[in-house]
Amino acid sequence: MPAQSVSALRSLLAERFPERARRVGGGVPVGAASVDAALGGGLASGRLTELVCAPGAGGQTVLARLLASTRDARQRVALVDGADGFAPESLPGDMLRHLVWVRCRVPAEAFAAADIVVRDGNYAAVALDLRGCTERALRRTPSCVWYRLQRATEEGSVAVLVLTPCPIVPAVPWRLELAAPMALAAAGAPRDRLAAELSIRTDRSPHQAEELAG
Amino acid sequence: MRFAVLTVPGFPLHALRRSDPSLAGRPCALVEGEGKKARLTEVSPEAAGAAPGLPASLAMTRCPGIILCRRGPAAETEAQRLLVAAAFTLSPRVESTAPGCCTIDLLGADPARAEALLRLRAAELTAIGLPARAGAGATPLLASHAARLASPVLVVADSAAFLAPLPLAFAEPTRAQEEVLRSWGIATLGALTALPKADVGGRLGADGAALWERAAGEAERVLRLVEPARSFAAEWAYEPPVESAEPLLFKLRRYAERVSLELRGAGLVAEKLSLTLLLEDESDHRREFRLPEPAADADGWLRILGEHLSGLRTPARVSGVRLVASPARLPGRQDGLFDTALRDPAAFWENLARLGAIVGDDRVGTPAHADTHRPGAFSLVRPAEAVAPAPAQVHAPAGPALRRFRPPWPALVTCASGAPRRIDAGRVGGAIRAALGPWLSEGGWWEPSAWAVETWQVELEAGGVYQLARTQAGWHVEGMLD
Repeated sequence: MPAQSVSALRSLLAERFPERARRVGGGVPVGAASVDAALGGGLASGRLTELVCAPGAGGQTVLARLLASTRDARQRVALVDGADGFAPESLPGDMLRHLVWVRCRVPAEAFAAADIVVRDGNYAAVALDLRGCTERALRRTPSCVWYRLQRATEEGSVAVLVLTPCPIVPAVPWRLELAAPMALAAAGAPRDRLAAELSIRTDRSPHQAEELAG
Repeated sequence: MRFAVLTVPGFPLHALRRSDPSLAGRPCALVEGEGKKARLTEVSPEAAGAAPGLPASLAMTRCPGIILCRRGPAAETEAQRLLVAAAFTLSPRVESTAPGCCTIDLLGADPARAEALLRLRAAELTAIGLPARAGAGATPLLASHAARLASPVLVVADSAAFLAPLPLAFAEPTRAQEEVLRSWGIATLGALTALPKADVGGRLGADGAALWERAAGEAERVLRLVEPARSFAAEWAYEPPVESAEPLLFKLRRYAERVSLELRGAGLVAEKLSLTLLLEDESDHRREFRLPEPAADADGWLRILGEHLSGLRTPARVSGVRLVASPARLPGRQDGLFDTALRDPAAFWENLARLGAIVGDDRVGTPAHADTHRPGAFSLVRPAEAVAPAPAQVHAPAGPALRRFRPPWPALVTCASGAPRRIDAGRVGGAIRAALGPWLSEGGWWEPSAWAVETWQVELEAGGVYQLARTQAGWHVEGMLD
């Protein structure tokens, strides 16, 4: 489709659905400079962002930075923990006051919980952590579950970060990949610096989609 | 109970009567077929002497004044939307199963509250022209059976006792299966499920085993969930156009009831109403009403709309109407300048209860560090009403964050010079390139539950930094630095 047609279609949709057009934009900074730069400022509100994390590549560090950043901004966050891997001792106790942690056992519980929290309206960000779930179980998740989650997200103003072990979310507007594993030498480094230096690859973004359409 | 079914017996006729003011309180019936083959399919209670299956000509003789109608697809669509909207006020997971029937996944709902809400919703639907029944049970099939027998609500607690006396037809056997089972003297679901499932399957094949499962209420299925309404609007046309307020108000009420239910299902209220009258001369009359108090109350809306319409004169007859409600979230309280309290406390606590029902009450909450040095100790507390400003940090967090394996993986660790050199934990293993530690901690030595742990952080030559713990129970991989 020519770029002009795409932009004309976007203008038409923004004109017909001004409420929807207004909701897009804004965002929740992750607090990791590398991730925020790749996302153009932070997690987009009303959108899903997929972060594909290789084991040990920094996914948990990004999550910890998101919690710290939202705590500073006094925004509420829900963590739907698909495999119950979050370690509260990784953060000072004061940095957890804004967090609602849902400890799931299986992906089905995580999807049911995510469906509820993205519609809640009290959260600025929701992290759906599916690392630790088997790839087979995730691949068995019907596409309609993902589309339902995307639609629910678009209806509100919550920013949703989905942490996955492999690219799994269909038609996601943002997909970043963390592939380089961390070394033990990083153990003493300040976490914000570690997060800033993470090696991020942008697999999919709305800008790329525009360029492709062009 | 995990599932509920909302159903409206005689749905096509009720839907039609809801949409047509001329049928209110008068004997009427739905007919199918043409000419002499026309027969009644649904009959209103006022039509004494008429019954479903009766030829139309005979019905007119037996019940003088009866109004015979065809099914109204538009009226049924609107009534189905109303039913679905009512279902969404109970749970976000709703299936529009069939005309006049919705199945609701009550996962996470409080059972006692869900039953009370089912009663309330059935009564509300009845009051607005759709006499609904509701059933609830452990499976969609059980809930469906319960709804068929409800008056108006039936919750199945003991599925075996509920199903046992029901006739075999509830399991929907084929004609051949029914004949075989009758010859065995089996007439109820209980008599069928008293037979071993394997034996029934052996004699009647896979279909017989499926029949047994249906009879036992075990037949599971995946619900085809529908999306909740995203726009809160209604539009309808008049043929022929109308020139008085009564027919306008009649339909306005019907559509406003549906839109308000859709708003309530989404946890929203209307802050503004927009009413557009499409006139016969292609012009229109549009008016916006900012509600004095945002609400999803159809009666309140109609008072405002009715007052406007009663004094309105239009240059031409009205051929269509469009009603749009602008949604807004009802703020539980006004935000202060430095206040970050809950915007919608009711939704927050209700959703927290739902989450607790899904994962367990002890698995949802705000994590708080436990008053001990024991690694990994924490408790989950009730989330705070307001998020206070974060105090300045004395020591900023350092290093990658830990991601725990729960439960930890048992491991065989080979040490040299007091430090781990090789690890074998099944899912992870190999030579260790570098190790940091040990960190020694112990506590509770004055109690029977005394503990002591030696913690290491190791980097494998194959890549990956893991946290190891050595206790009296041996070595474990506690998690990964990620």
